[in-house]
Formats: sequence, structure tokens, C-alpha cells
Amino acid sequence: MIAVAQRSFAVLALVAAVIAVVVTVLLVRRRVPVWLRDEVALPLATAIAVVATGGSLLLSEVAGYVPCELCWYQRIAMYPLTVVLGVAAWHRDDRAYRVVTPLAGFGSVIAVWHIAIERNPSLGGVCDPAAPCSLRWVEEFGFLTLPTMALIAFLAITALTLAARRPS
Amino acid sequence: MPMTTPGSRDRVRAEERRRRWIFAAVGVGVIAIAVVIGVLSAAETGSALSVADVAGDPTIEGEALSTAPEDPGADPEAGSPSPVVRGTDFDGREVTIGEPGGAQLVMFMASWCPACQEELPEVVDWIDAGGLPEGVEVVSVATLHDDTRPNWPPQEWFEREGFEGPVLVDDAGSSVAEAFGLRATPYWVAIDEEGMVAARVTGMLGAEQLDALVDRVQGAS
Repeated sequence: MIAVAQRSFAVLALVAAVIAVVVTVLLVRRRVPVWLRDEVALPLATAIAVVATGGSLLLSEVAGYVPCELCWYQRIAMYPLTVVLGVAAWHRDDRAYRVVTPLAGFGSVIAVWHIAIERNPSLGGVCDPAAPCSLRWVEEFGFLTLPTMALIAFLAITALTLAARRPS
Repeated sequence: MPMTTPGSRDRVRAEERRRRWIFAAVGVGVIAIAVVIGVLSAAETGSALSVADVAGDPTIEGEALSTAPEDPGADPEAGSPSPVVRGTDFDGREVTIGEPGGAQLVMFMASWCPACQEELPEVVDWIDAGGLPEGVEVVSVATLHDDTRPNWPPQEWFEREGFEGPVLVDDAGSSVAEAFGLRATPYWVAIDEEGMVAARVTGMLGAEQLDALVDRVQGAS
């Protein structure tokens, strides 16, 4: 059951990566369609935050994967996004980026450092017996670890929240 | 400015509602497809062996060492008698640690620990390159058993990495690691031939640091 959940989250992370890239291109080219800006961006960002939060809780509380220190910092950034984005989507508040981008930016920086430690364990030094950050609990398709999926989620959420801004 | 009538507003709202349902259906569809892919492609890779199947039953004599300090140069246990551990390897052969008579470099390894996974092949290379002098033995302790973590079971890992020295298998409660004051892995304890602790180091060691540990056990003897 956990293997199925892990693979499903990995597939969703790939979908989120595609969303992040496409939306970033649209932002750079200033061609965000109105339907995306007004109706899809914030609900989709909320859905990504909810799936990421639910996934992290499932893997720690059901699968028993003990979160390491860096996992906790990423959780601190991700969990509030479900509420912030949910409220913003409900009220169609295009100013959500003011809160979301700092939180997602902080989470992204931590996720990048976490990925670096996973790829090069000597950066992390030693293995804390309880919860070492270099431990790869999940590695789907050969590269999708938990902080990699978190990074993709943070980037997709940031892009979507910026895309939701209306011209002033 | 275009005029809006109640009828046109209703049509706009109805259109918005219709689009929302379409977007929601697309979202649910994507999640459903991800789950289907997960069901069809995920493979359970866990080993049939549990911690109870792998864990040893070593006996420990002597006083336990305090937890290793972060600075190996400030180790209050340097010069203390090592606990004497008698246990077995994965095949049931006897392995002893800390008994006077031969200098030992004891490396505590957890198979799931990525730093240990990086360290073990380097140690094997160091031994193969002739770094280990006669009269000094490298003994590993397979410890911190956890069958829920990656790279389980540990015996397959030791074999895969080509480590040919003795491996003492710790018990399920990691009593041997505790007796030697393990704080984290990889963890090294250098024991001289009189059975005294010469040095304790936590972390990955390169060839030069391993040479220095050898000097410590030889110099102390």
C-alpha cells in the first residue's frame, strides 16, 4: 500500500513539475491566460499544497518514516500554505503571493540543501540514529526523493501564485 | 461600458460553475490516473527478513563507555579499558571485541546510513591497498538494525561491498553500540592490544585518518 502511495505521489510530482515549467514560461512571456489567472491558479496551488501535506503526514504517521530536522523545516513552510492558499482561493485573493512566496522560498532553499545532503552524505557528516537527513526513504524513478518532491511542490505553488496576480 | 442584465449575469455564473466542475474533474482525473499508475507499477521491495531474524545475541563484559564526544581529542575514555564483547557474525562464527591480545579498529556501521554506505567501500579499498598493518584487525559491528529502512538486510550489503573482515552482529536493542558510547554512525573505536581504548571517532574517515588511527593503536601498545 505504501509503495503504491509513493509511486502515486511521484507521478503527481512529475505532473507538478510540468505545471511549474509551463506556468513559469507563461509568466516570463507575460502570456498567462485569464482562465488560468482567475479560476485555476489558486485552486491548483491549494491542491498541490494539500497533496504535499497529506503525503508527508501519510508517510510519517502511517508508513513510519521518521522526519529529520530538515524535513521539519520544509513542513513548517508547506503546512501553512494549505490554509493560506485555501483561503486565498476561496476569496479569489490575488495578493496571496505576498505570504506564499516567502514561505515557499524558504521551503525551497531547505529542500535544495536537503537534496544536496542526500546526494553527498559527507555534507551531512554522520547519521543520527533517530532520523538522519541523508537517508532516502523514498527514491522513485531513480531521482524523486522526498525533498525533491517537496522542492517541485514549492516551485509549482510559487509559479501558480504569481500567475494568479491580476494586473494593477 | 457594456450593460449587464440579470439574465446575462446568470449565464456568466452558470458558465463559471460549469468551468469549475470541468477543472475539478480534470484534477480528480489526474489524481486517479496517478493512483492507477501507482497500483500498476509499484513493487514491494522489502526483505522477508526481520530485525529478529538478523539481530545477534552478544554478551558484554566490563564497564560501558560514556557517549563519544564530538571532539575526539577530548575523549575522557581514552585509556579506559574497553568493554569485552563476545558475539557472532551473520553465519554464526564467533567474533570477539576488546579482549587483550590484539589491536583492533572497530567500525560501527548501520546498513541504512548513507555515510556508512559511502565509508565501507573506502575502508575496503584502504585494506586492499595494504593500509592495515599486521597485528591490527578491522572488525565491524553491524548495529542499529531497522528493517523498515533502505539497504536491508545488512549481511547482503557487507557481502556486496566485499568486506571480508569479521562482522559482529549487534542485538536488536543495539547494546554493543550503547556499551561503546555510540552517538552517530559511522563510528570508530581504536582498541590497543592491551584492550584499552586508544581513540574514538565519529564520522567518515579517509585513508589518512585511518592511518592515524592505526598509529594510535600501535603507539599506545
